Amino acid sequence: MWTQVSQSLHESMARVISRIATLLPGILAFILAVLFFAAIAWALAWLVRSFLNGIRIDERLARGTNAIAEWSPTYTPTTLITRVVFWCVVLIGFLVGLEAFGASSDNVLSARLLGYIPNVVGAVVLLILGNVIARFLSRSVLISAVNMNLHYARLLSLGVKWLVLVLTAAMVLDHLSIGAAIVDLAFGILFGGIVLALALAVGLGSRDLVSRSLEREAARPGAEAVAEEQFRHF
Amino acid sequence: MAKLELAEETKAGVEEIKEADLLIAVAAPVEAEKLRTAATRAILGLGESSVGALRTVVAFPGVSGTEPVAKVEMDLDEAQTHDRLHFLPYAMPAGSPAKIPWLPTASIYQALFAMARDMGVSACAVIAPDLAALDSNFLAPMIAPVLEQRFELAMPLYALGKFDGLLNSSILAPLARSLYGRRVRFPLAPDFCFSGKMIPDMEVALQRTIAQGQSTFWPATEAAIRERGICEVHVDTHHAPAEGVDLSTVLSETVGSLFAEMTVNAPLWQRVRGSQAAITVGTPVPPTADGAGADTTPMVETFQLGFRNLQEVWSLVLPPVTLLELKRLARPSTERFHLPDELWVRIVYDFALAYRLRTLSRSHLLGALTPLYLGWVASYALEVGNASATEAEQRLEKLARAYEEGKPYLLSRWRWPDRFNP
Repeated sequence: MWTQVSQSLHESMARVISRIATLLPGILAFILAVLFFAAIAWALAWLVRSFLNGIRIDERLARGTNAIAEWSPTYTPTTLITRVVFWCVVLIGFLVGLEAFGASSDNVLSARLLGYIPNVVGAVVLLILGNVIARFLSRSVLISAVNMNLHYARLLSLGVKWLVLVLTAAMVLDHLSIGAAIVDLAFGILFGGIVLALALAVGLGSRDLVSRSLEREAARPGAEAVAEEQFRHF
Repeated sequence: MAKLELAEETKAGVEEIKEADLLIAVAAPVEAEKLRTAATRAILGLGESSVGALRTVVAFPGVSGTEPVAKVEMDLDEAQTHDRLHFLPYAMPAGSPAKIPWLPTASIYQALFAMARDMGVSACAVIAPDLAALDSNFLAPMIAPVLEQRFELAMPLYALGKFDGLLNSSILAPLARSLYGRRVRFPLAPDFCFSGKMIPDMEVALQRTIAQGQSTFWPATEAAIRERGICEVHVDTHHAPAEGVDLSTVLSETVGSLFAEMTVNAPLWQRVRGSQAAITVGTPVPPTADGAGADTTPMVETFQLGFRNLQEVWSLVLPPVTLLELKRLARPSTERFHLPDELWVRIVYDFALAYRLRTLSRSHLLGALTPLYLGWVASYALEVGNASATEAEQRLEKLARAYEEGKPYLLSRWRWPDRFNP
């Protein structure tokens, strides 16, 4: 019996090792593809940077309040464009590597994985964009509300931030095809619920309270308005 | 750089006049009839003085790029009320409208200076945003130093009350003085006068300003950089209070423009130490009377609200020690509210640095400065509440000196922004 067990173990070990051996060329091809494309990406990024510096794109775009600088203040347009070029080429290398890996392994899982990658890339882009927009809008609302002397400035800013983040999360999940119907439904219910709750609060439950609050707010001039009456700033 | 070509209608008008000695350049839309009356009275009022004997052209925005502007229709023949006085309508340059209505944009100045160049004038007086300068004793005192004393730029010294022009007094004037080393009380005055010799320099500066996407032009800064003779002239001109623009917009536009100039001129102002007083001409005009005290509570409240909500933004710009001092200041006691000059100067310098480094979006950065500015206004108003206008002016001089004394801090931060700064 021990002989049979030993033989069975040896056979399974041999199968696993041979499976790994069949995967090795694929892994090697993947690594090589990524490294090769990373080198191309680096060279291409260098070329693009040189070209953009040559045409002084930062200087040209710096005229006035350009959108790139407003939304992404810490990066110059040249840095942003070269980074986008670099990571696009690396991504292509990643896809080529995966394709090579899939061809060598003829695995159904890897084929599915390959088909899913565009969704993941789209979701990551959405997530990044959503975060940037949420941060920018929440800061804009916060600063404007403080300058208007609104005491609930922080609340407004947080509200805008989470609204954009929740919307982004729903879009990301939808893009990843994760719980598509449930996410749509939950999002619809959540937003519909918020709007309905506000409508009920203003229209029925807190009508007097809200109207008193609005009247008080309207009657109280903003700090700037009061300041303008007594002071001339320019 | 290529010089600006005037619009066809304007060019035709300039060619008809050929040459002049003095150009009175009205840089804002005005009513033609009022302009005719005010300009004629002002020129005739000069009598046979040296200025009154000059061949004068009054340029006013009379035609747009596409069609005549109805309200400024003027019969040019009728307008020659004086043999030495001509009226010349010009086309307002197309482009984005000014965000601050009372401050002419760089493209308007560009058109006016091109006219002055083509007519070969000896002096040019810019008038905006209304006709207050023509209605007051402005022209003779401003033009005389340029023509007779060989100054190249004459800036007005308005007689303001202690609570007037606070943005200018707290940031624009002292910062420009500290940077460029010339004490000009109103560096962004809408009315000023310059000699014909300055026109090429002004045109180059304007081309650079427009190429950078800026719309605000700083004549005194350009003259200071080029080491031209600047004088300040006491004038009795009072412009109507500005309306329709909120403080944040004005602050963003003017301070943002000054910060942008700082970035461009960094190699120049880093060499400047101290400041020189500009020669003052004329007799001081008594300032307008202000009320004794002012209600500072809303401004202190906005500052405190800003401290509670904008720390996340301020901490990106200001070092911890400044935030600590602001925390002390934000305690709920409006009577003892006092923002020290040194602290205010460091705040302005740190914001200028953040503008250059793009630490955060520039619109956010300048928006976040508004509560701090209102804090300074509240502190200043509490301090000079019962003081006279002269004492208030002395207080502002002390602030300007604090800017100069704080300049090493700016230089250090500007050159080594990553250095540890507790």
